[in-house]
Amino acid sequence: MIEIPPIVAIVLPLFGAFLTPIIAIVSRRFDVERKVCGWFMVAIMIAMLLVVVSMGARVWGGEIIIYKLGGWDPPWGINLAIDGLAFQMALMIAGLGTLVAIYSLAYMKRDSRFDLYCTLILLITAGMMGIVLTGDLFNFYVFLEITCISSYALVAFRRNSDAVEAGIKYMIIGSLGTSILLLSITMLYGSIGSLNIADLGQKLAMAKAGAEPVPMILVVALALFVTGIMIKVAMVPFHAWLADALTAAPTAISALLAGPVAVIGIYWVARIPYLPFGMPVGVILVALGIISMVVGVLMALVQTDFKRMLAYHVISQKGYMVLGIGLGTTLGLQGGLFHLLNHSTYKCMLFMCAGAVLHRTGSQKFDELGGLSKNMPITSSVFLIGALAISGIPPLNGFASKYTIYLAGVDAGQPIITAIAVLVSALTLASFLKAFSSVFLGQRPERFKDVKEAPMQMLFPMCVMAAICIVIGLLPALGFNIAGPAQTAAMNPGNYISQVLGGT
Amino acid sequence: MSLNYIVAMLLITLGLYCLLLKRNLIKMVIGLGVITDGIHLFLISMGYREGGIAAIVPGGMLQDNVAAGFASAAVDPIPQALVLTSIVINICIVALALSLTIWVYRHYGTLDPSEIRRLRE
Amino acid sequence: MMAGMTTIVRTISRLLFPFMFLFGVYVLIHGHLTPGGGFQGGVIIAAAFVMLWLAYGLEQSPIGFELFRTEILEAIGGLTLATVGLVGFAMGVGKFFGHVLPLGTLGNLLSGGDLPLLNIGVGIEVATSLVLVFYAMLRKVAWDEK
Repeated sequence: MIEIPPIVAIVLPLFGAFLTPIIAIVSRRFDVERKVCGWFMVAIMIAMLLVVVSMGARVWGGEIIIYKLGGWDPPWGINLAIDGLAFQMALMIAGLGTLVAIYSLAYMKRDSRFDLYCTLILLITAGMMGIVLTGDLFNFYVFLEITCISSYALVAFRRNSDAVEAGIKYMIIGSLGTSILLLSITMLYGSIGSLNIADLGQKLAMAKAGAEPVPMILVVALALFVTGIMIKVAMVPFHAWLADALTAAPTAISALLAGPVAVIGIYWVARIPYLPFGMPVGVILVALGIISMVVGVLMALVQTDFKRMLAYHVISQKGYMVLGIGLGTTLGLQGGLFHLLNHSTYKCMLFMCAGAVLHRTGSQKFDELGGLSKNMPITSSVFLIGALAISGIPPLNGFASKYTIYLAGVDAGQPIITAIAVLVSALTLASFLKAFSSVFLGQRPERFKDVKEAPMQMLFPMCVMAAICIVIGLLPALGFNIAGPAQTAAMNPGNYISQVLGGT
Repeated sequence: MSLNYIVAMLLITLGLYCLLLKRNLIKMVIGLGVITDGIHLFLISMGYREGGIAAIVPGGMLQDNVAAGFASAAVDPIPQALVLTSIVINICIVALALSLTIWVYRHYGTLDPSEIRRLRE
Repeated sequence: MMAGMTTIVRTISRLLFPFMFLFGVYVLIHGHLTPGGGFQGGVIIAAAFVMLWLAYGLEQSPIGFELFRTEILEAIGGLTLATVGLVGFAMGVGKFFGHVLPLGTLGNLLSGGDLPLLNIGVGIEVATSLVLVFYAMLRKVAWDEK
């Protein structure tokens, strides 16, 4: 295999984003603007996916791929460092991004300015790849801002009153979150003097070993960092923006926000307890995780809007992941990361089903829908698979990851956590049964008599994801093959530090 | 030099006050800008060295002659680069926020955030 | 539609515009020697154009605005940036953003490897982007007043 440097995975969508306006202007002359821009976007995403997959063999062999920008050595230069954890995230972002891109080809058919949409999707993908692949803290901040600004613009894309309201609220809370992150990075730089993640890990470990107690400024920096990340991951009590944003955004964007963008937050939540901080934040994570799980599912039970209910379930499921990571044991971390893999898949799929229904019927409220299983058989069966997966019913993939988290709760000596998690799963199942029967079973209103099945470009990604859910459910070893190296890489900061600072 | 840090913290607090308690979207965006300015001041003050010179190598300076003295006398240039990057990002955020505010005004006719609640019903 | 300002402001703006533009280009090109560089120079150039529009009103300003030309320029600016990085990669130097042009002597204008090219790319990108942002906002407000 040719060795493609990982920088190509970031540069490719960035380049594509700059090329798209020119391509749009040229193709507007020949009146094929929509098709050319759309397929160009999908082609770049597929190329990026191939680049990410090609890194797989090397990373799973235990080597951390390091790429130095401009040839400058760390810790003076910026480097990319891809270990098992980063690779799992990159794989998910690339794969889900490609599927969402194919889905948007059909979903955005009635929207004008499709070229702007393609540019923003390529920009947000470049930002997300940059976040998971980088090894420098300030580089992470820059790519995080690229991702967030693109997502603010995408949420408000349709410019109707709902979208703009959700957009500005999301924007203000999100900007506050990234400003808090910037303050935390500032304090870290001021007290330690380095911005490289590996270098910070080394110096923080030395600072902790030397001085007892931990210096105040480091504690404040860690607190601010955790707060900023929690705002981005939408844990309670910072969850207010997620419901509005996912409801008002075009559904392809909701799928993107619920899947890959959540990956980034959880990536950093998994990194916090080990590198670069190495301080015990497990208790806070477990507490926030449990509160989010319960609050999320309780609020989802009373919703009457399809996408809003799914948004609250996103909060609840992210609570599972944060809980698993916060437990700090091997099982807990593996469970959390495996659940991330599964959740992104079936949550994207569920949002795509909601989008297909919205696209064909024009409505997303439970009161107005009903009896659509005869018109849209594939969509309803895909939704059923997703509903069973999210509730943790065997033999689908949700069961494997949730069972791991249940085991982790008992294993860590806290069976009360397992009890709460099982209860939340039961409530999730109840909520989804209500949703399924409202939308797909029951009486069909007259005006939906001639509703057709969703178009091919929407069905293809949904069926691919449904197939992945079933396959991972039947063979959970596949999922553990991906989550296992991620977990060992996350819990092994010494290896990371030595390879980045010591290697070539 | 602690005056710098006090002013930076004051700016951040004032910005937070604006962001959380004012009943006008544009004032909230201004508050966001003030918070970011406070953080920038904080960051630049961290790079200061007592009695330092600006971190610009004058033209015609021979490399090996004065390089050693320069490196220990100059102020730290990294926070300045970080603040430049952050200012650019801040411009993008403020531009996007103001554009969204214009759209909100067109749809709702008011800039009061407590009246913009159509999604909650 | 958009009311301009008084005669004094218009005259001074028209006289100041070429100097502001020149100053912006100066800050841009000397970015590797003195404080400044791509972003700062680009903002000054954009401010020069916006000053003219605010003084005259969008329709009657001596320098008009063409959406097509500005959009193409912005894309070219961004592409220059990415291409310079990739060229360092492709031409055997082997690293992203590796220097292709020679590092001249300290203090010369033609020194510092790739940096002047990067500065120019960034400057064009920033200037055109800010001009586009102002144009979008002005046009939206004018639409509202109709």
